[in-house]
Amino acid sequence: MSITNVSSEVIGSVWKVEMKVGDAVKTGDIIMILESMKMEIPVEAPADGTLSELKVKPEDSVDEDQVLCTIES
Amino acid sequence: MHNRELNSEKAKADDEETAGTPINEELHFRRVSALEMGGAEAIERQHANGRLTVRERFSKLTDADSFREVGTLGGSGEYDENNKLVRVTPAPYVAGMARVNGRPVAIGGEDFTVRGGTTFGAARRKGGQGGFIEDLAHYYKIPLVNLIDGAGGTVTSAKRRGYVAFPGVHGFERSVQLLGEVPVVSAVLGTAAGGPAGRAILSHFSVMVRGTSQIFAAGPPVVKRSLGRDIDKEELGGAAVAVDKAGTIHNAVDTEEEAFDQIRRFLSYMPQNVWEMPPVVPCDDPVDRCETALRDIVPEKRTQPYSMHDLIDLVVDKGSVFEIQPTNGKSVITSLARLDGRPVGIVANNPKFYSGAMDAASAHKQIRFMELCDTFHIPLVFLVDVPGFMVGLKAEQEATLREGMRAVYVAGQLTVPTLTLVIRKCYGMAGMATCNKNDIDLKLSWPSGEWGSLPVEGGVAAAFRRDIANSADPKAREKELEAELRAYASPFRTAEAFAVEEIIDPSETRPILCEYIALAEGRLKANLGPKRKAGVSP
Repeated sequence: MSITNVSSEVIGSVWKVEMKVGDAVKTGDIIMILESMKMEIPVEAPADGTLSELKVKPEDSVDEDQVLCTIES
Repeated sequence: MHNRELNSEKAKADDEETAGTPINEELHFRRVSALEMGGAEAIERQHANGRLTVRERFSKLTDADSFREVGTLGGSGEYDENNKLVRVTPAPYVAGMARVNGRPVAIGGEDFTVRGGTTFGAARRKGGQGGFIEDLAHYYKIPLVNLIDGAGGTVTSAKRRGYVAFPGVHGFERSVQLLGEVPVVSAVLGTAAGGPAGRAILSHFSVMVRGTSQIFAAGPPVVKRSLGRDIDKEELGGAAVAVDKAGTIHNAVDTEEEAFDQIRRFLSYMPQNVWEMPPVVPCDDPVDRCETALRDIVPEKRTQPYSMHDLIDLVVDKGSVFEIQPTNGKSVITSLARLDGRPVGIVANNPKFYSGAMDAASAHKQIRFMELCDTFHIPLVFLVDVPGFMVGLKAEQEATLREGMRAVYVAGQLTVPTLTLVIRKCYGMAGMATCNKNDIDLKLSWPSGEWGSLPVEGGVAAAFRRDIANSADPKAREKELEAELRAYASPFRTAEAFAVEEIIDPSETRPILCEYIALAEGRLKANLGPKRKAGVSP
């Protein structure tokens, strides 16, 4: 079993979270959408597995490289 | 004469085959010694570290049987009490001429199997700072290929010499000069520090291998002594730092073979020198290929990104895109490509990353790429979707304004033809870095184009603050003002004023760009030669 950290590539805020802890995810699924520079930035799953932890909620500010959630596979 | 057996029977056979009479025995022995490099054990260690030897690298990178060595016999001879040669340790640097894509290049590289590729005390340097190979590229006006696998000088040189050399005595003057004359490419294929690391940077294109190569100003032992910090070499100067984070090296690949592919690919777009035109290749992708998919590529909702990479692929010759620095400064995409077989430089904002806003890293990347294309007479195509400079504390700390204005300054000095095609947003000073608006160079736009000094949202709140605050319903007033101003923002109104030259149907993008790039040929030919540099860059 391995844990994959999903990090933000950008500075911005969380607009929408599309999944909940325990959901099965496939590579490329959109887990949440961030807002940065007035643009919607989808956060895609980098691996197959289960969404094991959500570290942010809508309207939270996020930094570059901040871990947003984890996937257990 | 020799106290050991020659273990390269093939080399001997080759030598004998080429001569009518038996080859001079000493010449043969010295040649074989050169081919043996640092010996079987050292070669095994090099392979065990996941690296090729310098000679294997040359043969994989260059056209078959095209390498003509220079300085084969350079090295250190050992002689017995009767002054007879006992053995030769070859120089830790191999150099010569070869062909890449059928065209001549000067090529050199450290031999790590001989004393770790450190410098050796020859009458003349084979390569590196002020070496033969740099001179060869300079006098014959051919590209230079550096395969870097060494850490430069050692303190033992001082012992040999009896004094320490002053920095710059074996300087970078020639390497600097070459940057304005011929294409220079570098592959970092081992751990590079010192002079070799410096040379990797003094190139037009550089590539390194993830996992087996590192580059830094100084390695872990120096960091430990200077700062007391323990850090391993991969953490300090692996591709994750040197390529992805810092942009010290342009591209990272997974194998040495891929690095050679990238070098061949890069050189295929380049002229042999600045006095020549870049090579045109036959193109079987129709010039009049209209892609209706381009009409729908930009989402109606202005806050939704799209794939600028897909857009580029739909426009340029199929399979012709070679992206430079794909993992650094990601809000802009810089790619060499072809339109009807003619090399072009594509600068395209990436809406998926900071909405395409220009930050310090993307400004650096765009500047270097514009200078590369300008130097080698490659016309530029800007595919514009830029909301402005990146904003925020981090951006200000990184001097985004200064770096962004440097991009504007460099764009303002371009002499190659530039075509600007606005895909969506073109705002502010970052927008100015995408065109040469005072020249004959064209500004084209898709119907989705919008521009101005700043976007209407945000701009309204700032400019009409009092008006909005004093109204009975401030939110509604703000929306009303936005709607009023947005009407003026239509690209068609600017086209009415002939302030953009043409608004085009997105599907016609390829035929129109191909036509203008073909037209650029005469202008490019009229401006061959080195480019004049003027002024102080901000």
